Amino acid sequence: MNLLFRISLLFVGASFLVFLVGGVISYQVMKREVDSEQQRFLLERLDRIDNMIKKRKPRDSVKHHQLLIVPLQSKQQESISFSDTVVMHAQLNRLEPHLKLTAIKNVNNKSYYVSIYGVIVETDDIVDAVTESMIKIYLILLVVIILIGSVASYYILRPFRETLVVIKNFSIKEPKKELIFPKSNVKEFKKLNSFLEEMTEKVHHDYSLLKEFSENASHELQTPIAIIQSKLEVLMDGQNLTEEQISQISQTQNAVRRLSNLSNSLGLLTKIDNQEFSNPEDIDLSATIRAVMEEFIELIQLKSISLTSQIDENIHIKADRVLIELLLTNLINNAMRHNWENGELNMKLTPGELTIENTGAQLDIDPNSLFERFKKSNQSNRSMGLGLAIVKKICDLYSYDISYLQSNKMHTLRIKF
Amino acid sequence: MKLLLVEDQAEFANNIKDYFSKEGDVCEVALTLAKAQEKLYSFDYDVLLLDLMLPDGDGFSLLHTIKDKWPDLGVLIISAKNALTDRIEGLNLGADDYLPKPFHLAELNARAKAIYRRRLQNGINVLAFEEIELNVDSQEVMVKETLLDLTRKEFELIHYFIVNQNRLLTKQAIAEHLWGDYMDTADSFDFVYQHIKNLRRKIMAAGGNDYIKTIYGAGYKLKKI
Repeated sequence: MNLLFRISLLFVGASFLVFLVGGVISYQVMKREVDSEQQRFLLERLDRIDNMIKKRKPRDSVKHHQLLIVPLQSKQQESISFSDTVVMHAQLNRLEPHLKLTAIKNVNNKSYYVSIYGVIVETDDIVDAVTESMIKIYLILLVVIILIGSVASYYILRPFRETLVVIKNFSIKEPKKELIFPKSNVKEFKKLNSFLEEMTEKVHHDYSLLKEFSENASHELQTPIAIIQSKLEVLMDGQNLTEEQISQISQTQNAVRRLSNLSNSLGLLTKIDNQEFSNPEDIDLSATIRAVMEEFIELIQLKSISLTSQIDENIHIKADRVLIELLLTNLINNAMRHNWENGELNMKLTPGELTIENTGAQLDIDPNSLFERFKKSNQSNRSMGLGLAIVKKICDLYSYDISYLQSNKMHTLRIKF
Repeated sequence: MKLLLVEDQAEFANNIKDYFSKEGDVCEVALTLAKAQEKLYSFDYDVLLLDLMLPDGDGFSLLHTIKDKWPDLGVLIISAKNALTDRIEGLNLGADDYLPKPFHLAELNARAKAIYRRRLQNGINVLAFEEIELNVDSQEVMVKETLLDLTRKEFELIHYFIVNQNRLLTKQAIAEHLWGDYMDTADSFDFVYQHIKNLRRKIMAAGGNDYIKTIYGAGYKLKKI
């Protein structure tokens, strides 16, 4: 429901109420005018009747069209009162409300009861007239509102729509691309546009600072690590080293490598957070899984793991290719690392769901914290506990639902996408 | 092989220089882009080892010049920025390969040699070590006129050994060379051991000597007896 439609709807609703109340008021005003006119008319007739009684001096009751004169026996106080009555309409053959005047008139020292009734405009006609005119005016108003609404939404809101288009094309990754908002004379739109301009500029600025920082941090870490690594390698290749010394250097190298991987993985998590991977493309998940599995075939054979895979054909998703490959690699790596020699690895891909199952020792950490950074079962000390954190982060990015299940030495990771 | 290393970390650069010099290759060092340009104008090199973040600019700018002026020069980018975009941009700008820091010097050596060989007009596609002859193009290994039946990984392994002969190759360096990023599984070193065992067996079955020496607790070395 667009904004203008909403406003129009509110306006239509409000005016309906106004017209309802307006109708009642118009009715009352008209009725009052008509009634007073009617009363004056009846009073004029009463004057004429007065004259008539003076002339004719009727002794019996006179019943005429809309008129009744009854001479009274005793003398009474003069009075005039009005009341409503219903009269059968001759042609329409239905009861119609009329105004009735009842009066006691003293003419020549004798009291007469006079009753006359009549109508200029009947009340139900007033109701009909008011209703009809109100409905007609309301319909005209409705048409006008709809017309104004569509014209306004087209012309007046055009700068707003153009602004929306510009924002839609906004990409945090392209700081060079400046946002050019349409010019508008409307104060609100001007404000909105200048606010958006400032905001996007700030977002770009902050983002580039953040990106630069994480890139520099990673670079600054990897450089000394690279120096250590190369020094160790040269050292190791030197002459006259004892086996013990070589072994020590080798272990140091392994630790250095882990440090480097750690920094890379943390950098990767930051990059995913910074939305640096946002080139969504159509990915044939079935084919990608098979390709990634291919890389592991040798390891699977070397570890004598029995692999069963049931990959449905032609399952496509829209995501960044690098991230999806990373996700799959980490998942399989995880299932391999915690697997036993002669264990099992089952992969299953069905539309909307990917399941990876592997044998392995019971978890000695809370399964709920499995996806947190640096959480790992100590059975595999060489891992850093970041693989599944990266998996989770990628799932979060694409709103995939990931769950973990452990039963009978089988570990199951299920991703619903 | 004549190399030019563009790297602002002098210590690191000297390490690499020493490593290559030991094998009889010539490796010169430029600490800045300006220095690198100066050297490129004055001397001929086979392979350029290029760091991306340098004090006077980024290495990409140099790539443009190289493509223009020295199209025959092989380029290997060595960078601590393991950003995918950098890797792609570098390769698009005509670099031959991209090796993220930190790396094993043996790996750097193997990659630089591969670039050098590919760039040579009349490429030496046969590498030899004693009675072992390895043809890079056909991916075949002959020992005393007998063709070895090697798997792809075993071929890569003996290739890596021959390129880095007389040097200690750690199990880790071998594992990374063979499996790259996919290999950080705890038992990777056992797999290296199995491959080496098979390779030894095949070479010896063809009448070759066992040149692969085990260095306890560290790795292996291909060494003349």
